[in-house]
Amino acid sequence: MAPANLTAFVDEDPPVSLWRDAWHRLFRNKLAVAGLVIVIFLALVAMFGPWLTPYDFLTQNLEVRNQAPSLAHLFGTDDLGRDVLSRVIYGTRTAFVVAIVVTTVAVAIGVALGAIAGYYGGLLDRTIMWFTDMTMSVPNLLLVVVINASLKTPVTAWMEAQYQATLNPFYRQTVWVDFLLVFGSMALISWPPYARLVRAQVLSIRGRPYVTAARALGLTNRLIIMRYIVPNAVGPLIVSVSAGLGTAMVLESAFSFLGVGVNPPTPSWGNMISDGLRVWQHYPHLLAAPAAVLGLATVAFSFLGDGLNDALNPRGSK
Amino acid sequence: MGAQPLLKVENLVKHFVVKLGAFGEKGATVYAVDDVSFDIMTGETLSLVGESGCGKSTTGFTLLNLQRATAGKVIFEGENIVALDEKRMRPYRRALQIVFQDPYSTLNPRMTVGEVVGEPILFHKLATKAELPERIARLLADVGLPSRFAQRYPHELSGGQRQRVAIARALACQPKFIVCDEAISALDVSVQAQIINLLLDLQQKYGLTYLFIAHDLAVVRHISDRVGVMYLGRLAELATREQLFSNPLHPYTKALLSAVPEADPELEQTRRRQILTGDVPSPLAPPAGCRFHTRCPIAMDQCRSVVPEWREVVPGHHVACHAVAESVPG
Amino acid sequence: MTAPAYNKPLLDVRGLTIEIETRRGPAVIVDGINLTVGKGETVGVVGESGCGKSLTMLSLVRLLPNKIKVRGGTAVFDGRDLLQMSKSELRQVRGGKIGFVFQDPMTSLNPVMRIGDQLCEPLIYHRDMKKADARKRAIELLKLVGIPGPEQRIDAYPHELSGGMRQRVMIAIGLACDPELLIADEPTTALDVTIQAQIVDLVKELRRKLGMSVVWITHDLALIAGLVDRVAVLYAGTVVEDAPVGELFKRPTHPYTRGLLASIPKLSDERASRLSSIGGTPPEPGRRPKGCPFAPRCGLAEPICHEHVPALLSFAEEPRHRVACFVAQRQMMEAA
Repeated sequence: MAPANLTAFVDEDPPVSLWRDAWHRLFRNKLAVAGLVIVIFLALVAMFGPWLTPYDFLTQNLEVRNQAPSLAHLFGTDDLGRDVLSRVIYGTRTAFVVAIVVTTVAVAIGVALGAIAGYYGGLLDRTIMWFTDMTMSVPNLLLVVVINASLKTPVTAWMEAQYQATLNPFYRQTVWVDFLLVFGSMALISWPPYARLVRAQVLSIRGRPYVTAARALGLTNRLIIMRYIVPNAVGPLIVSVSAGLGTAMVLESAFSFLGVGVNPPTPSWGNMISDGLRVWQHYPHLLAAPAAVLGLATVAFSFLGDGLNDALNPRGSK
Repeated sequence: MGAQPLLKVENLVKHFVVKLGAFGEKGATVYAVDDVSFDIMTGETLSLVGESGCGKSTTGFTLLNLQRATAGKVIFEGENIVALDEKRMRPYRRALQIVFQDPYSTLNPRMTVGEVVGEPILFHKLATKAELPERIARLLADVGLPSRFAQRYPHELSGGQRQRVAIARALACQPKFIVCDEAISALDVSVQAQIINLLLDLQQKYGLTYLFIAHDLAVVRHISDRVGVMYLGRLAELATREQLFSNPLHPYTKALLSAVPEADPELEQTRRRQILTGDVPSPLAPPAGCRFHTRCPIAMDQCRSVVPEWREVVPGHHVACHAVAESVPG
Repeated sequence: MTAPAYNKPLLDVRGLTIEIETRRGPAVIVDGINLTVGKGETVGVVGESGCGKSLTMLSLVRLLPNKIKVRGGTAVFDGRDLLQMSKSELRQVRGGKIGFVFQDPMTSLNPVMRIGDQLCEPLIYHRDMKKADARKRAIELLKLVGIPGPEQRIDAYPHELSGGMRQRVMIAIGLACDPELLIADEPTTALDVTIQAQIVDLVKELRRKLGMSVVWITHDLALIAGLVDRVAVLYAGTVVEDAPVGELFKRPTHPYTRGLLASIPKLSDERASRLSSIGGTPPEPGRRPKGCPFAPRCGLAEPICHEHVPALLSFAEEPRHRVACFVAQRQMMEAA
């Protein structure tokens, strides 16, 4: 039994909100700070990629094929003589765009469905949760492969038809089809955990005395949701989103590796690893560079997620 | 004590349906509150006592319409409030407030004390934004907290301080009636005394009426005007404090009183206790007849089949027991 | 009650100091506690939450949570210092010579084990019993703590029992190996009054039957009035008063003890009269005052109280009554 009023304040201390308290805890956690620094660094790289790349990521230079890392090409060159560093940087862009878009869509779907299920309960809850469980029960890779395989041809054909009809060059950019399908299918498999988390949070917060007290004060449902339920539910959601961003990057790489994600020539860590794997005995740097960056990103998000979890949901202290 | 009832509770019933089985296919009914009737007089402190699961807290929640009543009426200002939907209930909410047991979860951890206390004031338009800081300071002073606490967050306060904030929040609505649901049970002894004193002071100052739900009989004896004893969802006995503690009629009340320890070693070492055997039966399947008959030392045949009538045996002294004679000399 | 042999304590705790790791560095939560328990004696340890009463007892069998460490002192049990014992010796003591009963019977029992198996475990481990013998003994124990139908109940899971029954099982586990000392940490706090009365009577009867020593930790002075031989009142990690139970209630001397007793509503009170209460809250660890820890809340505090920590000293006429208060000690001197 820990003393009950360990946190009781003394006058000279400034008021500390739970959010600020969580920040302090996060910054005392060295691994979390390291994770945060790496994540911010990678995000900056993704954002300013076009200004950072020493070469164009598509330009082929057949005279410098498969070169080992050197001062001219820090990460070497690939079999078409493209600069690997530039491609890894663009891969970072791909990874972040996919992760952010997918996670945003998944969180939006998950929060909406989870909150509705948790707040209203009853038949609506059971229907939504049944649907959620069904989605979760289908193997992720299988679902994505099926979606991509079955939709890619008709969508591409439809785009081509649109181009023929309108002559709008937009419809010739098949990279959008790639992205759309990757985003769509990944969002489709990523939302259920958020829905479950939010539902559980809402259910537990809804029963807390401070929510009952708010009802006893006569406050409207909208006010109760906005001021009482949402602020108390976002902590675990933030943790989950941080971990989810990392997972989304790994997923994107996995799909691209399998050829159902982002397709060449658009660089993605996954398709670079896939290419590099074929020649790793001769040109290990082609595998090592994207794999190392992917590993770094995953580890960084995982440290950050752990740190956020410890900071936002401290155990053993009230 | 005013003779006017502030609230009239008539045959209040609250049943919960719980789902059992792996697929929730079996429904079972929890008989939480069954056919409970009593009046709460203006300005009095009425206590409900009983063991966990007896339905005393559910009674408090149901009569505030925080949980839907299964049947029965609660008449407040001429309106049966338990029949109102949330929207039509809103005007009455202000007058009827509640303070909870657990000081750790009674306040929204993301709001400062000032926001907690100020919210009902702004919502019910009891003051303008400009008047708010002064109003909050006055409420905090009422509950014995300095105004600088308004900037603090709940997790920075001790249990007793949080409970004071919860009381200030209830007071902010300028209520007539407050349900204190085990409001002091989780506090340390010395802090309990502070909060009891506070509740008594506020009652005097604002003419409040309390429904005090508690299991600590020593505290109940100290602060109540009248006391109701509940057992398994039904009222067993209801009387003034003097009647109940000096002349308990129901065998359950007698057992309950004899189980309360007194802070007196000599008395305790010689005292004969009437110890009840067995446990409280499940509210999922309450016994037929009188619900206490399974543990009652004087149970008779009719107790096992006939529900004892709720009757007033002496003016102001209600009891539900077959063994209590028609009229008892007061 | 038989007169227990007070002269030779079974447990002798001296200068026990416990610290907790906080954000601001280590903070003392138990500050040099002295406490003895005689053979066959029942001692009530009373104090409010955070006073260190539970930690003191947990530290004896080294079951303190992480971040909380013993910094000094000795705890001699049956001639050996518990705080210096090796892990394997300690395991013999835990559950073997010292039995524990905790507050919450639901979380203290393993929910996926039958209660019989939980009862047999210490018997097999500490007493080298065969499984069949252990089972026989377990049934005896369940009968001893008043569980009806022990032959059937022994195969029940904890969730199939009521709160009172579970606490009886906890007591049976605590008693399994005939411990010389039973430490009960708020064993009735989670229970209803009528069930609490059952448990208190059970412990009284068991103590008489088995002749063991009992330490009963509680915040409820009224509860232990009829149960214990002696009371130690704890405040902010120190013993402020220690006296035989009758003496303590007749002549409470430390201002904190008096305040505690006065804040309990009594039969004779007028309705709605003001209860006397102690203002303020106990100091938090790391912010202990320099002198007597109670001084900031004490109505009688004098300059010396804020400067020095009073020692626990005996009354002249009743040496078993000890109090740690400068004001009370001076009044005793003047009276003598």
